[in-house]
Amino acid sequence: MADTTATAGAGSSGTRSGGKQSTNPADNYHLARRRTLQVVVSSLLTEAGFESAEKASVETLTEMLQSYISEIGRSAKSYCEHTARTQPTLSDIVVTLVEMGFNVDTLPAYAKRSQRMVITAPPVTNQPVTPKALIAGQNRPHPPHIPSHFPEFPDPHTYIKTPTYREPVSDYQVLREKAASQRRDVERALTRFMAKTGETQSLFKDDVSTFPLIAARPFTIPYLTALLPSELEMQQMEETDSSEQDEQTDTENLPLHISTDDSGAEKENTSVLQQNPSLPGSRNGEENIIDNPYLRPVKKPKIRRKKSLS
Amino acid sequence: MTPTGLEPARMNRKKGDKGFESPRPYKLTHQVVCINNINFQRKSVVGFVELTVFPTVANLNRIKLSSKQCRIYRVRINDLEAAFIYNDPTLEVCHNESKQRNLNYFSNAYAAAVSAVDPDAGNGELCIKVPSELWKHVDELKVLKIHINFSLDQPKGGLHFVVPSVEGSMAERGAHVFSCGYQNSTRFWFPCVDSYSELCTWKLEFTVDAAMVAVSNGDLVETVYTHDMRKKTFHYMLTIPTAASNISLAIGPFEILVDPYMHEVTHFCLPQLLPLLKHTTSYLHEVFEFYEEILTCRYPYSCFKTVFIDEAYVEVAAYASMSIFSTNLLHSAMIIDETPLTRRCLAQSLAQQFFGCFISRMSWSDEWVLKGISGYIYGLWMKKTFGVNEYRHWIKEELDKIVAYELKTGGVLLHPIFGGGKEKDNPASHLHFSIKHPHTLSWEYYTMFQCKAHLVMRLIENRISMEFMLQVFNKLLSLASTASSQKFQSHMWSQMLVSTSGFLKSISNVSGKDIQPLIKQWVDQSGVVKFYGSFAFNRKRNVLELEIKQDYTSPGTQKYVGPLKVTVQELDGSFNHTLQIEENSLKHDIPCHSKSRRNKKKKIPLMNGEEVDMDLSAMDADSPLLWIRIDPDMSVLRKVEFEQADFMWQYQLRYERDVVAQQESILALEKFPTPASRLALTDILEQEQCFYRVRMSACFCLAKIANSMVSTWTGPPAMKSLFTRMFCCKTCPNIVKTNNFMSFQSYFLQKTMPVAMALLRDVHNLCPKEVLTFILDLIKYNDNRKNKFSDNYYRAEMIDALANSVTPAVSVNNEVRTLDNLNPDVRLILEEITRFLNMEKLLPSYRHTITVSCLRAIRVLQKNGHVPSDPALFKSYAEYGHFVDIRIAALEAVVDYTKVDRSYEELQWLLNMIQNDPVPYVRHKILNMLTKNPPFTKNMESPLCNEALVDQLWKLMNSGTSHDWRLRCGAVDLYFTLFGLSRPSCLPLPELGLVLNLKEKKAVLNPTIIPEAIAGNQETAINPSSHAQLVGFQNPFSSSQDEEEIDMDTVHDSQAFISHHLNMLERPSTPGLSKYRPASSRSALIPQHSPGCDGTPATKPPWSMELARKGTGKEQSPLEMSILHPVATTPLSVFSKESTSSKHSDHHHHHHHEHKKKKKKHKHKHKHKHKHDSKEKDKEAFTFSSPASGRSIRSPSLSD
Repeated sequence: MADTTATAGAGSSGTRSGGKQSTNPADNYHLARRRTLQVVVSSLLTEAGFESAEKASVETLTEMLQSYISEIGRSAKSYCEHTARTQPTLSDIVVTLVEMGFNVDTLPAYAKRSQRMVITAPPVTNQPVTPKALIAGQNRPHPPHIPSHFPEFPDPHTYIKTPTYREPVSDYQVLREKAASQRRDVERALTRFMAKTGETQSLFKDDVSTFPLIAARPFTIPYLTALLPSELEMQQMEETDSSEQDEQTDTENLPLHISTDDSGAEKENTSVLQQNPSLPGSRNGEENIIDNPYLRPVKKPKIRRKKSLS
Repeated sequence: MTPTGLEPARMNRKKGDKGFESPRPYKLTHQVVCINNINFQRKSVVGFVELTVFPTVANLNRIKLSSKQCRIYRVRINDLEAAFIYNDPTLEVCHNESKQRNLNYFSNAYAAAVSAVDPDAGNGELCIKVPSELWKHVDELKVLKIHINFSLDQPKGGLHFVVPSVEGSMAERGAHVFSCGYQNSTRFWFPCVDSYSELCTWKLEFTVDAAMVAVSNGDLVETVYTHDMRKKTFHYMLTIPTAASNISLAIGPFEILVDPYMHEVTHFCLPQLLPLLKHTTSYLHEVFEFYEEILTCRYPYSCFKTVFIDEAYVEVAAYASMSIFSTNLLHSAMIIDETPLTRRCLAQSLAQQFFGCFISRMSWSDEWVLKGISGYIYGLWMKKTFGVNEYRHWIKEELDKIVAYELKTGGVLLHPIFGGGKEKDNPASHLHFSIKHPHTLSWEYYTMFQCKAHLVMRLIENRISMEFMLQVFNKLLSLASTASSQKFQSHMWSQMLVSTSGFLKSISNVSGKDIQPLIKQWVDQSGVVKFYGSFAFNRKRNVLELEIKQDYTSPGTQKYVGPLKVTVQELDGSFNHTLQIEENSLKHDIPCHSKSRRNKKKKIPLMNGEEVDMDLSAMDADSPLLWIRIDPDMSVLRKVEFEQADFMWQYQLRYERDVVAQQESILALEKFPTPASRLALTDILEQEQCFYRVRMSACFCLAKIANSMVSTWTGPPAMKSLFTRMFCCKTCPNIVKTNNFMSFQSYFLQKTMPVAMALLRDVHNLCPKEVLTFILDLIKYNDNRKNKFSDNYYRAEMIDALANSVTPAVSVNNEVRTLDNLNPDVRLILEEITRFLNMEKLLPSYRHTITVSCLRAIRVLQKNGHVPSDPALFKSYAEYGHFVDIRIAALEAVVDYTKVDRSYEELQWLLNMIQNDPVPYVRHKILNMLTKNPPFTKNMESPLCNEALVDQLWKLMNSGTSHDWRLRCGAVDLYFTLFGLSRPSCLPLPELGLVLNLKEKKAVLNPTIIPEAIAGNQETAINPSSHAQLVGFQNPFSSSQDEEEIDMDTVHDSQAFISHHLNMLERPSTPGLSKYRPASSRSALIPQHSPGCDGTPATKPPWSMELARKGTGKEQSPLEMSILHPVATTPLSVFSKESTSSKHSDHHHHHHHEHKKKKKKHKHKHKHKHKHDSKEKDKEAFTFSSPASGRSIRSPSLSD
């Protein structure tokens, strides 16, 4: 019994490795193994005198058995690897069983007990046929500098490329046409998507889907979206005219300007300085001494309170 | 002491200042405004003011100041508690609850209420009693310091809070507050002398959150932290004497930008907008330079600030040394269309800095000088910046506007003189509002007033030359700056005030010319000139016989006598002739210089010296005349309708170089749909040198001509091939080039042409399929990737074009509009609109121009029956939180829906918004749009017109809009449009009971309705100038009713009232009894019910019963009646007095009495009685929370 289980375990590991070749049979093996185990559990139960068992309990026992066997396999593998081998030997199994608290000596007696039931070997499922790889063309032989034990070249179709290209569309009209319709399609798809995912309004009461309008949503600060150029436009502007870059950098610095109070004054100073390039060079020197009351630092309160009252 | 006692003293008081007489018995020299707490959460303001005042008369014991909606806690004069009364009659104009609902009555009452507190007349809402301890001090004319503690809670006008509801501190949210208002509205946010003629120096202090900036007038002296370091105080000092009305404030988390060219100029904008601010203001220094150069005068203030804020009241508001702009004027470098508009706003505000802020005015009737000068120098700036063509085009536009307005409404008077105060002499009797005060003016009137003012300045310039003109301005400015530097000689400050006479005197001093006739014609008199011209060529005499007729009988016109320039373009050249327009001469013979000789091929000299080749084949063989122009320089405010042959208009269009002439000929050619006209227009369209605005209007004219010629039109639709040639690819003519808007002229043309093309119609009156496809292709192939500029305006106009192409749907027996029966063309249009509108949500365009156009287009589709008419979409876009342009567009659609579908629900929705919307501009705009596109008008039957609506609107203008002059006047305009001047026809007449007794019911309704309609007609046709006339007409059958009407109408104006009753004394039809009876009979018979039945003879019991039922006003004690009678000297005055007082037994009536006092000095005691009365009312009306104010109530001696 132990042998059969062990082989079943080995078999299962073997099939797992086989499963790599074709993914589909893996499930089959799994099911088959499970079925066999179930038969084993059932026969053991019968042997123990049960006449019937609930499906759930059989399942539980099967699970336990499977775990047990798996553990034996795992441990045995570890022992064998520990001794730098790849194939487990009987002693590995024995050590494992001992380690798991199983009295090995009882095993031969148990195996030879009289009332044991013999289970027929599970039907051998058809070895899955590895589908033949498409062979397109002759595999290339190794060039002389590559040792022959190296794997063969893969099929030619995996690395050979056949450059194919159409004449580039240079016709202006077609290009424009294409750009326009592409753009329109994108826009339409995008707006439809937005309309589908969000709230909509409709011009026709009976039909809400043909001309869906994205519902109007009020802003908390409406002037910002209305006045500030969108990022796209900013980008375009940068592309079309690099001299506008000043502005671009300014917006990047924006968060600085929103900062508060005392340091604000200095920051404003820097913002003025940033603008310098647009000024005639001669002015640059004076920039630091701009005397504007709004740039002056805020004074600390005086001890005398509110002189304004006087 | 009463003001009457002050009157002679005031008259006697002579000051060194030429001509200016202060209406106040004191001179204000300095004012401190200190706002130490601003709470954005609660929208409240706490602060105090301190006015330094020098009495100018010995017995000054009461000081009147202006203050509205402020809660006054405490008033101290030289540290002594002073009693005060706060009384604002404009809060509720008509107090009686009677069913009186006619606008005449309201306008008079409103004008009276405004003048009762008019600071220009020395009045005010806040009356402070000088404590008796100080009387001696006052008699020595020593200084008084008036200290007033006040607060403002949730102000509805004057100060506007913008507090976005997002997370974060107020500064992070971008919350801000700013002062706003129409004309002198400073009293809405602190007590002051809210007159443009009372100048003083200022110290302004604002304590704000440390993250905020307070921007105000004058120099920022210092910024100091408070002790807890969480707030800071901005100290401003304004040493140039300035009127309170020019004081302003803006507080917010502004970003600060010091102008890189002028360091004393600082710009402020809301967070995140700094890049836009930089670009927008980068131009301002050029405007400064321009004005300083032409005026040869430095900018008068030591600094200048521009603040850009959200939810602006007006786009531009100029105050002393600072201007407040709408944030929506900011733009980036990519925006074309907004740039000139914003620059114009900047220039306008700067012009007003010189004239309007620095130089103020003496009185309201001098306003035209300031508006005129600032508008005029702004025009000069336009000429320099945008060129002569743009300038002349603008002048022509302004001229057309003012002409149209005056002809529609009956005239705009620049310099109203209110001598004698007789209502009969009211120079503006054709209007439904009083022009005595800026605050009673319709907003439209005021804009037209400004327009006319600058046009008249231009006329003066024509007369005396620009050089002299600028010298005059310079003189005014240098006088003012000399005066302003006299720090301690406040009597000199009146040099900073301009008056009409002072201005005219300067002109005559500088130029030595007499411009009196011109002033008389255009300034002292309203109306424009309407010329009709035609001509004949007399071949024998080689003379042009020109006939010029005038229409001076229609409303808004006047007769013109004087020189008139006529330019005749002949074959030999262009010749100017100056005709004298006189009383009876219609015909003018003008000798021609050239014989007709076309065979000699020779170039034809034009006005500007240019010589051109012309194809003369079109012209009349016998005549050497190419074209004739009347008043080419627009030196008369006129409308000219001139008749000349179509070929002459065509020559004029092609060869006359003046843009105004071209514009005029385009307009005229609409009437000549011929191939020749088509050719002339097409040629103009193609001519690159031609002014772009002319080319744009040629587009529309061409579309009209093409439609008229539809049956004979050959070739592709008008403008299509032209557009293709100009803007499409050479190789594939159906595809437009990728956008390149570097040439603005072609940009504007490219924008306009499709819009005009979409107006084309085929024989079935449908837009040709070819045109629609063309426009759809333009949209499809629009490609802005390589463009330096944004194409948002261009795309918006493409949508406008689509909307223009829509024609009414063919409807088979009112079927319901569904998708299935949608016209395939409309489906294409709708698809585009949907896509554009949805794309806007993802990539919004500048100022949401595309959304705006889409909303308009959807309304067009609804209106034409392609899409079911439904306001729901627009209502959602009209909600607060959308960009203001979108809101206005959506509201416009709702207004239109209300009219077309006569929807009561939508009207209510709009009215509700007028009352509750947070943005004053939007509220104003709704009223304005409702007035322009009214759901019904006065002579129209409409289910919407009902009593509830009348009541609602009445309430709106009577009390609902007291915090905003502009809004109130807007409500008055709407009321006028809907119901006319007299009683709304949908109301049951209060006289019904009486009439029922006289006649049968059927007979009752007719005479009341018919006179109404006739009266309405009469108003528009002849402008009845007196109420008596009108009323007499209205009530042909009942003299007693007549009387009733009259005293209702004019009750607030004692003069008219008295004169009316004087008339009645002489009128035999009125039973003599009625003059004496009412007072006594009422006190005897129905002493408790007064308001509704004043002046009603008690001869008819059912009548008085009827009124008794209606009378809901306050009770009048019989005791008072008995006091009244013995005091009165004449029965007449008893009557008038009693009727007013009983009707307005509320606290405001004593102001009317004061108003009248000048005329009736003999009733002092009697009046005091009322004063007590009114004080008690005050007690009820105002709940004072501080003990100091309680004192004022207790103080008994105010009227002693």
